[in-house]
This record gives sequence, structure tokens and C-alpha cells, in this order.
Amino acid sequence: MNQQLSSFAARLRESINAGFQNEDFDAFALELFALQFKNNFAYRNICQARKLSPEIVEHWSQIPAVPTAAFKELELTSLEAQERTAVFHSSGTTGQKPSRHFHNAESLAVYEASLWRWFEQNFFQNPKSKIQNPKLILLTPPPDLVPHSSLVHMFETVRQKFGGASVFASRTEFLGKLAADGSWTLDFEATLATLSDSSKSKTQNPKLIFGTAFSFVHLLDFLAENDLRFQLPENSRVMETGGYKNRSRSLPKSELHAFITERLGVPRENIICEYGMSELSSQAYDLEIQNPESRIQNRSFHFPPWARVQIISPETNQEVRDGETGLIRVFDLANVFSVAAIQTEDLGVRRGDGFELIGRAQMVEPRGCSLMTA
Amino acid sequence: MNLPNYFLADLPPEAVLSPAMLAEACQTLKRNRECYLLSRSTESLIKVLSDVADGWLGSENKFRKLALELGPARAGFSRETLARGLDNFFKQITRENIHALLVQEFGDAKRLDAMTMTAAEQKQNRLAMVNTPEFQVHIAAGNIPNPALTSIVFGLLTRSAQFVKCASGASFLPRLFAHSIYEADGKLGACLEIAEWRGGNLALENALFAEADCVTATGSDETLDELRKRVPLRTRFLGHGHRVSFGFVAGEVLYGSRGKKIVASAADDVVAWNQLGCLSPHVIYVQPGGEIAPEHFAQLLAEELERREASEPRGELPAEHAAAIALRRNIYEVRAAHLPETTQHWCSKDSTAWTVIYEADVRFQLSCLNRFIYVKGVADLKTVLESADSVRGKVSTVGIAAPEEKTNEIATQLARWGATRICPLGQMQNPPLAWRHDGRPALGDLVRWTDLEQ
Repeated sequence: MNQQLSSFAARLRESINAGFQNEDFDAFALELFALQFKNNFAYRNICQARKLSPEIVEHWSQIPAVPTAAFKELELTSLEAQERTAVFHSSGTTGQKPSRHFHNAESLAVYEASLWRWFEQNFFQNPKSKIQNPKLILLTPPPDLVPHSSLVHMFETVRQKFGGASVFASRTEFLGKLAADGSWTLDFEATLATLSDSSKSKTQNPKLIFGTAFSFVHLLDFLAENDLRFQLPENSRVMETGGYKNRSRSLPKSELHAFITERLGVPRENIICEYGMSELSSQAYDLEIQNPESRIQNRSFHFPPWARVQIISPETNQEVRDGETGLIRVFDLANVFSVAAIQTEDLGVRRGDGFELIGRAQMVEPRGCSLMTA
Repeated sequence: MNLPNYFLADLPPEAVLSPAMLAEACQTLKRNRECYLLSRSTESLIKVLSDVADGWLGSENKFRKLALELGPARAGFSRETLARGLDNFFKQITRENIHALLVQEFGDAKRLDAMTMTAAEQKQNRLAMVNTPEFQVHIAAGNIPNPALTSIVFGLLTRSAQFVKCASGASFLPRLFAHSIYEADGKLGACLEIAEWRGGNLALENALFAEADCVTATGSDETLDELRKRVPLRTRFLGHGHRVSFGFVAGEVLYGSRGKKIVASAADDVVAWNQLGCLSPHVIYVQPGGEIAPEHFAQLLAEELERREASEPRGELPAEHAAAIALRRNIYEVRAAHLPETTQHWCSKDSTAWTVIYEADVRFQLSCLNRFIYVKGVADLKTVLESADSVRGKVSTVGIAAPEEKTNEIATQLARWGATRICPLGQMQNPPLAWRHDGRPALGDLVRWTDLEQ
């Protein structure tokens, strides 16, 4: 194990837990770049091809970003093969090579610290809407069925923070299952039972329903077909993430949200969108949900202070101006053992220090020789 | 744009079309055809069409001026790219070429006017003439204007009333062409309608299909499948699905000044209509053995594309198309950093204007277009055909540069494999008027023959 990276990870975790200071970002970023340049062979190659090195880079925004597609072809990690205890895959279409983001206990610890702190701040910071003993309804399969899903790892982390116990108990909270072809579906019966239980009385504890956009479509279509509507307890919240990936019909976001409100009785201001991916260790949320005065029509995504976003013009490779569209690039300090600077394939509109998500840039991935170095 | 309100596409953008409006337009078109078009001689139609085309080639022609002035914003091509594309198209519409087309399709240029016979038919004592559909509907794709313009020419030539349904945002050039016909001959213009809406509007499209005798459509295979199901059985449906094209350069010709000219020809094909047509190359296969090795060919092509950008710029792209190029480049940059001997890339600086990727991997690769070209080294034509197996049956044009004495042999091999058009590199986007789109007759599929035996 690389001592310098381990020590960096420990310090970053501490800083995240203590309330990360914005002014520390650049120093952290440059230090991490130097360590990744030194210890991550595949990344160093890319930097050198761009003629950039820690000696030249003076500011975090100059750190060379790696396209997410490179995680499919290269082992972008500082972890030795024998140190890797977990790997998260991207959820590509069948037949495509997935991205591989390698982890060990230390890097998972950073991931968990990062995801929990920002989740907590976005969901629970406002004392006015304090949620007491919420009940979790997770519309994905449980972690033991999908060990390579970073999203499910995140849900499991949140579940445990809420005092969730054994894997056995998790079966009542994770309501997704795997179809014969490996795709994610829902245990409708169990979901229905959970929802029915939760809507009996308004005095009940609020519910938190987390899932992918397509899992919500599966659920809502099922409710619509059976003419079922629920009114979840006050302060219940929905977190919706990710695209449709051809796993359900696609709905424009506003329609999906209206559908959620119609069938689950959760008002729009309590529906929050998450933006994350297997190649990152931090997530962005589209609203600090506790602030009902936020402009709901134009909510923009924000990463935590230890991750920064740039919206990059595909023409010039420079940051676009406010209100303009470009590709989303994320500098995520929590990606300690992989690569901090990630060029996504998503388009967004720059809105201040956040962004509005447009979605995946249409792209057919070129095939070609495998660059697997293992 | 100060044009009179002749066509539905001339209505202000806020105007909403209804099925009833379309049904009425179809009736009017059919009536006008009956009054004005049906009795016209082929000669007189050829004269109008060739005069209009000739007009478009003149620098003072008002329709051409409008096209070049407003085209960059409305059609998405730079002024220079548009000028070249329109010139190449209209140069084809001459009296001689239309005659040649009619003879090729019908054996005799007067078949549309009367019972006539060819020399061979004379020996058998037979005559024949062709009859044409009363009403053609064209569903035009949005990538480049040529197919829609060709459909209009063929429709008039075959004396059909026509309704051209353009893809959303793609009616600008067909509309200008229609106005130029209207101005030259208002009666012919009155047999033509141009409209634009986003495909898949069932109410509007079904209203059209109910009136049509023949529907022609260009678009993706899915679009065609969808349309085919909705066209009534009695109506002829002519679909042109998505096709891809590539180039092949034999090593023997890559010497001296000829080699440089071939590189320039490859650039012509990449630049024409920004590579967006089905006839534009995705890949140029280059055989080693000449003075210019495949990698070097790629580099020279990049230099040529850089020069073209100065004289014939690509123009601006919407963010999502530019993003597709940027993301592809990212992948090749990563590959080139790790395996420079198998992947190299050349990119326009501070823009996505042009990109050349050299790959040792010979497999056919779909480009994201807009002047993004792959160069691949291949041992021989056999390797090309094996490597392009994934697109076999979907290939339209193969542009070749090879020694003259080998052209026939190469073409025969390509024809047996399934390519439908083989042309010199540099001419991929300039098919002759009489070319057989997807290997089908140019006019033959539109008409119905009547034989007279004596």
C-alpha cells in the first residue's frame, strides 16, 4: 500500500468529516495530482501525452482529466492487483465493456465518508424539516446481488448509517431483484406491502424512497396499471438518479416527477435528483432539499466542496460561460486511489458554480483494440 | 426571407398544420396536376428544369444568394460548403443528362409522352409507354438536401403532383428550390407542396398517405419500418434506408504528385456536405507499398483538411454534435498515449472542425461525421471486405483510387460483395443524375408500363 496515498486519504476523510474548507481545495488537488501522476501508470501516460506534469500544473483546473471511457480500457488505479478488494462497474448496455473503478478498504472509507456527508447535508440539515427515524425504501437489488454497483453500495452505506442491521434485514428495504437476464426489476408485491404499510396514517415516520429513474417508471407504471395511489407521510422524500438505459420507457424529468407526485403523494419540492457515476466517489444533488424557497423550475446540481465541476466547451476545451452548454468535467478529491479529474460524457448547462443536467451526449462508442494492461 | 407564401413551409413557425389542411392541399395538388402538368411534353419539362438548374449556378441568382446568405444559420453548412454542394448538384441537371437518364430508364426519352419502341422492340413488333403516379409523397431526411431536391426533379419529370415532407429544421433548401421552380413556371410550382414537421406526427402523415399513390422515404431503417407499416397496401412505398460508404486507395497509385492529388480527393469527400450524406466516407482504407504509407496518408490528409478549413470551413455545430467529436477524440488520445504504434490522431486546434484517426485495427468503424475520418492500413481489397463485414449490405458507395487497369477487377469484387456504387475517390458525394440509388432504378420504380403488341 502506498503510504503517501494512504496518508492523503486519511487527511481528506478527516477534513470531510470536520467540514471541508473551500480554500483547501487547490492545495489538496495539486498534492493529489502529484501522487496520482507518480503512482498511477496509466494516468501518467495520458498526462505525458498531453505534456503535463506536477511541475507544470499550477492550479487544479489545469489537471488533465481522463474520459470515463478510459476506465473501460485501462486500469486507472494506484492500487496493486492484490490490494483491490472491490470494483464498481458502469451500467452500460449489454455487450459493452463496463468501466472498472477499483477500491480497497481505504478508498471505500473515503467514498463512504464523502457520500454520507453530502447526503446528510442535502437531506437533513434544515431543522425545520428534521426527519425522525425515516423508513428506507430502496428500489434496487441488495448489495450481495449486485456487488459491482457503486449506487447500491451508496444506498447500503446510507442504510447502515440509519442503523440498518444484517443482510437479512436489508431484504425488507432493498426491493429490487434481478431478472433472468441480469437486469434490475422490482419485487412488486413486497414494494406494495411496504407502501401500503407506510400510507396508513399520516402520523407515521416519513419514508425515503431511493431508486433509478427506470425503477421509478417500473413502479409507477405498475401502480397506474392497478389504479393504485399512495399518500406517503409528510416529509417523505424521493431520490431519483441516473438515466433509463433502455430499461424502461423514458420520460422527461418533469413528467417523471409529476408521476411520482400523482402516485406516491410526494410533492415536487421533496423529490431530489442525484448525479453520480461509478467513476466518481462524490455525488451532486439538484437542491438543498430543506430549502423550499429554492427555484424548483431551475434547480441546479451541486457537488460537495471537495469536488468541483467545470462545464467544458467541446469546441475549445475551455470552460464555457454561465448559461452555456458543454461537457461536464468533475475534479473529485475523493477519487484518491484512481483519478481525481474525470471527463464525463454528459452535457450540462453552467449555472453559477453548479450545473443543469442535459444528459448523455449521443455517442456510439468506437470499438477497437483492448488496452487492458492486466 | 422575403418570399411569397406559396407553400406550407412559407407559413410562420407558429402556424399549426392540421390533417384537414393537408387533405385540402393534396386535393389542390391533384387538381393542378390534372390541369397543368399532365398534358405537358417531357421536352418542355426538361427545359424548365434545366433552365432553373442553370439559374442556380449563376452568382446573381436570387435563390442561390438567399441560400448562401441564410444557409449557414438555417441549414448548418458554411457558405463555401453550401456553394460547392449546390454547384455540384445543379451542374448535373442539364438537358443532356436528363435525356440520358430517360434513355437509361425507359430505353427511349419519349416513353412518357407516347407509345414508342427501341430498336430491339421494333424487331419484335412491340411498343410501350410509361405511366406515372398521380401523386407522390416524399418523406425527406434531414442530413443533406440533395435527396429531396432530386425527388422534386424526378417527380416533375414524371408529371406527378408532389408533397415533400421535410424533417424538422430541414425545409430551407427544398423550399428555395421549389420557389425557383414556381418563379420559372407557376403552373409547375402549383403541383408541388413543401412542408416541415417533426417525423412521427401520425395524424398529419396518415392524412398524406391516404392520398398518395407512391411514397418515397429516406431515413433510418427504423423510421422506414415504421413508415412502411402505415402506408396503405395499394400505395407504392420506396424506402432508402441508412447507408455507409468508404474509400479504398491502392498502394500503386500513391506516388509523387498523383499521391498528393489522391489525398486531396479524399479531403474532397470528407469536406463535401460535412461528410453527412450516406455517400460520404467513414473510413479510407489505404494499402501500403506506395511512396505514401497509410500513417503518412493520414497525416497528409490532416494537413489537407486544415487547409480546407481555411477555404471551406465546416461551420458551427450544436453542442451535442461537437461533444460527440470531443468525446471520440478523448478516447483516441488515451489509446494513442498507450499504444502510439497502433493509434494516431490529428485534430484541428481549439475546435472540432476536423479530425483524422489512424488505426492499425482494420475493422470498419462508423465515424461521428462532421469531418471526422478514419484512415486504416490494409494489405489488400480482400482484407477491406472482411473488415467491413459488419456493414455488408449497408454499403452505398466505395470511392477508389487504383491503377486504371485494375479498376474493373476491383469494381467487380466490390459489386459481388454488395456495394452498389463505385466511383473515383473525390466524387463520392457527386453521383451523376442517373445513378441508381441503393442499386435501384432511378425512375423505374416510380412508374407503371403499358405494353402494346402488334
